[in-house]
Formats: sequence, C-alpha cells, structure tokens
Amino acid sequence: MAGKSGREISAVPEGGIKSKLLSWEGALVLILIGVNILGVAISPNYNVNNVLREMPRYLAEIFMMFGMGYILVLGDIDISVGALVCLAGTVTVLSSNAGAPFIVAVIICLGVGLLGGMLNGFIATRFTELPTMIVTLGTQIIFRGIAEVLFETWGNGGGTASMADTKGLMLLAKKLGPFPIAFFCVIIVGVIMIVVLAKTTFGRKLYAIGSNKTAAYYAGIKVERIRFICYSLLGFLSGLCALFLLTATFGSNTTTGQGFEMEVIAMCVFGGIATTGGKGNLTGAFIAAFIIVCLRIALGQRNINTQVILVIIGLMLIISVLVPSISSAITARKKRA
Amino acid sequence: MAEDLILELKGITKIFPGVKALNKVHFQLRRGEVHALMGENGAGKSTFIKVITGVHAAEEGQMFLEGQEVHFKGPRDAQEAGIAAVYQHPTSYPTLSVTENIFMGHEDVKSGMIQWRNMNAEAQKLLDSLDADFKPTDEVGALTIAQQQMVEIAKALSTNAKIIILDEPTAALTANESEKLYEIVERLRDEGKSIIFISHRFEDMYRLATRVTVFRDSQYIGTYDVDGISNADLIKAMVGREITDMYPKEDIELGDEIFRVEGMTRTGYFKDVSFDVKAGEIIGLTGLVGAGRTETIESICGITRPDSGKVFLEGKELTIKEPVDAMKAGIILLPEDRQKQGLILSWGLGRNVTLPIQGELANNGFNDEKKERELAKQRLEEVDTKAVTIFQPASSLSGGNQQKVVVAKALAQSNMKVVIMDEPTKGIDVGAKKEIYEIMGQLAKKGYGIIMISSEMPEIIGMSDRIFVMCNGKVSGCLQRSEVTQERILELSMEKSDSKKGGAA
Repeated sequence: MAGKSGREISAVPEGGIKSKLLSWEGALVLILIGVNILGVAISPNYNVNNVLREMPRYLAEIFMMFGMGYILVLGDIDISVGALVCLAGTVTVLSSNAGAPFIVAVIICLGVGLLGGMLNGFIATRFTELPTMIVTLGTQIIFRGIAEVLFETWGNGGGTASMADTKGLMLLAKKLGPFPIAFFCVIIVGVIMIVVLAKTTFGRKLYAIGSNKTAAYYAGIKVERIRFICYSLLGFLSGLCALFLLTATFGSNTTTGQGFEMEVIAMCVFGGIATTGGKGNLTGAFIAAFIIVCLRIALGQRNINTQVILVIIGLMLIISVLVPSISSAITARKKRA
Repeated sequence: MAEDLILELKGITKIFPGVKALNKVHFQLRRGEVHALMGENGAGKSTFIKVITGVHAAEEGQMFLEGQEVHFKGPRDAQEAGIAAVYQHPTSYPTLSVTENIFMGHEDVKSGMIQWRNMNAEAQKLLDSLDADFKPTDEVGALTIAQQQMVEIAKALSTNAKIIILDEPTAALTANESEKLYEIVERLRDEGKSIIFISHRFEDMYRLATRVTVFRDSQYIGTYDVDGISNADLIKAMVGREITDMYPKEDIELGDEIFRVEGMTRTGYFKDVSFDVKAGEIIGLTGLVGAGRTETIESICGITRPDSGKVFLEGKELTIKEPVDAMKAGIILLPEDRQKQGLILSWGLGRNVTLPIQGELANNGFNDEKKERELAKQRLEEVDTKAVTIFQPASSLSGGNQQKVVVAKALAQSNMKVVIMDEPTKGIDVGAKKEIYEIMGQLAKKGYGIIMISSEMPEIIGMSDRIFVMCNGKVSGCLQRSEVTQERILELSMEKSDSKKGGAA
C-alpha cells in the first residue's frame, strides 16, 4: 500500500564536518584547549607531568560521572553516590586491615558499590511515585551513617580509617610511562560507556525513557528494569571510584567523597546532558570533565583559593546551560530584524 | 419578545487549527430556568461552555448578558460578570482546604492579612445552605467527587454568580449523590439562578430541565421544550446525519477467529468483558466516555494488570504481563493519546517508527541506523505522511500526520496480527480521517484482526463489521453491521435509567 500521493520523504542524514564543529562538543574541545593554554600562561609548573601527577583524585570521579550520565539521560538523579564512595572505601580499608587479601578487598569495594546502587535502583523502581532526588537523599544519609558507625567501631579514631597494607594500592597507583593506570582505565571505561549510550539499542532505550517514559513503556520498553540496571551500574562505578580514590588517599574519613555527586552532575551538565532527561551525550561530558579537572589543577597551581575555584566553576556551569537560550534568543532577534 | 433572557449567544464560531469546533451556534438562557445542553462527544458542548466562561475567545458572534453585549477577555471577566462553571472533574486545589478553594482569587483581605475566621464562617454558611456534610477546614483532596462538586458550587455562590454552568456533573456520581445534586440545582433555580446543565443522561434532563438545546457536529440543531419532545426525537436530533462514502468499508470474506478475550475484569474499571475478532474483521468498541473501553484495552495489552480474564491469539492462550509481551505476540496497540503515549514528540519521525523494533534490526545490540532509516522511510511513505525528512521532530507535524506516524510505527512491526486502535481519528481533520479509514480497510483486506475504539458513531457504524457497546464497565450488547443504528448504540450506551422511569420517553 504505497502512499497514493507518491510523496517522498528524505532519509539522508544531515551533518558532515561543519555541523560537528558547530556542535557543543566542538565548542568544548576548543574550551579544553583554551583552558590548557590558560594553564601554561598563568602557571610555570603547568605541564603534562605535573597535571598527570595531580590527576588521580579527579580521574576517580570521572568513573562515577559516566554512570551519572546514564541516570541523567533517564531523567533521574542520584545524589547518594558521594556517600557511597565513602562507604565502599571505608569497608575496603577495614576489611583489608582485618586481614583480607588485596584482591578480596578490591572485590568488596566494587561489591559494596554495586549493592548500594542496587538498593537505590530497587527503591526507585518499586516506589515509582517517589522523586529519585528524595530516595537518594535518604540513601545518601544512610550510606554515610553506616560509614561513620564503622569508623567509630573499627577505625583509627577521629573519624578516619587508614589502610595498613598499601602494597596493593601502590600497584594500582603505578604509571605506564607518564600516565597513571587510572588514566587508561578511565579511557577504556569511558569509551565503552560512550559507545553503549550512543550506538546500542540499550542506549536508545535510555533516551526514549528520558524523553517520554509513557511512550517508551507503550513501545514495549521495560522501563523499570532499565532504570534498575542504570542505578546498579552507577553504584558499581562509584565502587570503582572509591577504589581509585584510595590509591591517592590510602584511607578514608568522614568527608571522603563529599560533594562528588554534585561535581559529576556539574560535569555532565557542562557537557550538554540535560537533567530533565533524553538529551546530551557522554562524549561532551567526558571532554567537560577534563576541562574542569585541568582548570582546577591550573588555578590550584597558582595558589588560587579552592573556594574561588568553585565560584569560577559554578559560573561556567550556569553560562553553559544558558548558551542554548542565549543563542536561540539571538536567532530570534535576527529573524525579526 | 417578552422573554426575560439573561444570556444570549448569536452566531458563535470557534476555530481551532484545522477544525471548526463551533459553527454559528445560538443559545438562549432565560432567567431562572434550568436549560439542558446535549449532544454527542465532540459536538462542541465543552468548547461552547469555554466560550461563555471566557476561556476561549470566539472568532465570530456576539454574546449578550442581560441585553448588554459583552466581550470577555478571560475567565476573570466572566467570573466578574456573574458566570461560574462546575466541571465533571472539579479543577480545584486538592491540597488546600475547602475555605481556601471557595475563596481562591477573591479572598477576604484586610490590610494585607487574610481574614481566616470570617472566611471560614462564610464558607460554613454556604455549605449549610447546600446541606454539605463536611467542614470548611477539610482538605479538598480528601473529599468525594460529589463533595468536591459541592465545593465548586459553593465557590460559584460565593462569587454571587447569576449563571451557573454544570458540565456533566452527574457522570461520576452515584444515584443517591445525583439525587442530592438535583435538589441543590432545584433550590438554586428557585432562588433565581439560571442554570446550564450539560449531561449525557436523559434522566438528568427530564428531572431538571425545562428546555433542551442540541448541538451536533459543532452546529446548533435546535432548542426544544422538554415536555414536548420524545426520547426518540431527541436522539435523532443528536445523532441523525447522512453517512456518505466517508467510510471505505469493503465486504471481506472473514477468516477464522484470530483473537478472543474472555471475562476480563479489573475491579472499579470494567467487569467480565468478552469479545472476539476474526481475521479480516473490524470490530468497533464503543460506549460513552468513561465506559471502560480504554481501560479494558490497556489491560489486554499489558499496560495495566487485570484481576482476571484470558486472552487467546489464534486459539492459544497468552500470558501478558507487560506491553512487550503483547507486542511480541503480535497484538499492536495504537494508544489513545498519541502525543503522550504514542510518540516521543522531541524525536525524529524515523526513530519513533523504529523504536519498538530497533532490537530486531540491530546487530548484536548495536543499532543498524541505515536499516532503520530505510524501513522508517518506507513505512512513513506507505501511509502518506506529509513530512520532508524522517529526521524532523514528531512535534512538527499536525495531529493527523502524527497519527500516521503512529500507524507507520505499528506497520513496522512485521509480526503484527491484531491491531487495536484507540480513538484513531480523535482531533484530526476530515481528510486525514478518511486516509486512516483507508488504511484500516487495507489492513482488514490483508487479514489482520482490527479493533477500533471510538466515541464517534459515524465511524463506528461506517467501519465496523460488528460493534460491541460498553456501558459502566460492562459489554451491554453486540450489534451486527446489518442491524446497527445510531439509536440502538445510544440505547446500549446509556444506563437503563429511562426504563426505570416508566416510559418517560
């Protein structure tokens, strides 16, 4: 039953190199280059080796960012993962101190993360009427609460727990050439996460759910199962974050992971992912993450106060989310003229 | 003209993009009368009410209030002029108290402070006058629908409304609650208020109204004295129209039974619904809004879980727990609300079409975009979608073309055996309607089983081989194509209340 009007509908994708350069990702690459030029300009110590030396703490966060990207694309949010990093790290340190071999400690670290994520996913999908912000605010308090109980009971006092046997961690903190192992891990995990989101049926389903949950459900997508998987995945990556954070800190305390969830959300949003769901991609977020990391390192080397750095990053974030409305306002004005 | 008209509308025309919702309609309301407004779903009653209450501005026509021509710029103007409307589903603020709802927008304020004590006392007075059994401080969300309507009526009284419009107020009420509402309406009438009463129930009209105005197809048909018109004449006025070759229904040799539903029950929504479909057959499922048609279909398709009931496809019983189960089996639903349920409006047309089958087209979980684009293009062209590229967002299309995208999405599912179309032509223009009917005819020819849910009598009669009518969650009858008339459908759709009245007709 061919259409009787014989009208043809084009199926040729637009695009090409020009539209790629004009995209937000293109702009982010330019900003990244700009930030690095700025770094070299303002700090005599800003070079590859020094940047890489300061990077591991931030690299750990980037693992978590990939998982957060999925959650945001779904139109959900998870603010418990910073506390989950603290809990996973603490359990790992304490079990290692209690005599667990390093490989077991690693499995425990990832396992605690995964279980925490599954708990979030379970509550969020069983009680769909609850806003996920509130669900994960609750688990955030729970995770950190448990971690603090553990410090008090088995820690080194004063709200800390340090790893006695750091051999395993030192191994993970090693470098291959100038690059820390974490750097390669971030690249590998990042490429997988980016490709899964952009190219697979699973990724497409995330966008469908984030764009219109009802239509996605009517189209046969198992909405709640996919949400559960994404929360679990974010939990697991938070475990990975905790592990690599330990390679830089060799212990955990009451403030471990504090604010990580907001920092990774900021990276995602700066990278073009909308917190309302269904928009953006992890390539942008990945580049945005490195922009923020490089900026922090550069400004830090100039001994600029941490709080001032936070103000600058906050301003960047707000400007970045304003860009689409500003540019559409400009086009609207042009049209009128 | 000695008539004391409080409200008169002349030649009102209201145009929505692509649809004339009201076409030169007239209406006269006498002071102190209860005037019923009747018509099929979509006849234009609600739009008309919204013109009176200032929600919509009419393109043409005049409106006179107590002889003076008025131009309402918004609901506020109508409210100040003494017109108030009470809707079937009260549009109140459920988390606020009764008092707050009644005085919303015209609170008693003295030097910036809300006078709660005065307002509560005033609210209590209003509630007393209505014999209400709840307190001014109760939360509105915790009240029954009947009580919420009472709050709305109290609100109308608090604004000193002279004209009160009741839009299908009894639709959600029990018999006792309706009786109480009748008494309230009668009392308001006796106090000199003028009342417009919209209802599908003849019982309401006979009980309350002195005159009735009928709309059909966005047009004014006539105004009659309730005492002087028979039930049959009224039904004819509401539905009587020529059926042209709008409906390209061909006689097709029907195949074996392809789909059967037995004893579907979901408490509070529908009860013991059974029907069957043969290959090549178009089944119409109709009834008034709220009869439980969509709810039944949604349970069949796994959107909601029924309490009991069996679904058979080609003789085999299916277990359907989720939408995907029904789709895998070949039961494809075109949902009622295409913008919320059928499409992702921000997405391109192509992606919408291939969303349910992206997994089948994919290679090891990786999307095959090329295959998707080709298939989407093919299906969208088949249904003659007016679009430039498959990448333009679904939101950029008109309602009729959006519906075609939904159809293309169904057609893309090659395992389709049964198509369920819920209000497939709702809100789309005549041309697109006819194209949808043609597609239905072609699908029937190919041997699919088709179920069409619709409130529009002409298309139900024009397209269906058999018609199942639902009323109050139950199948109240099944009519063959040869024996169907609009009157019989309407009879089956209405509660058997007129027979109870001992032949009011």
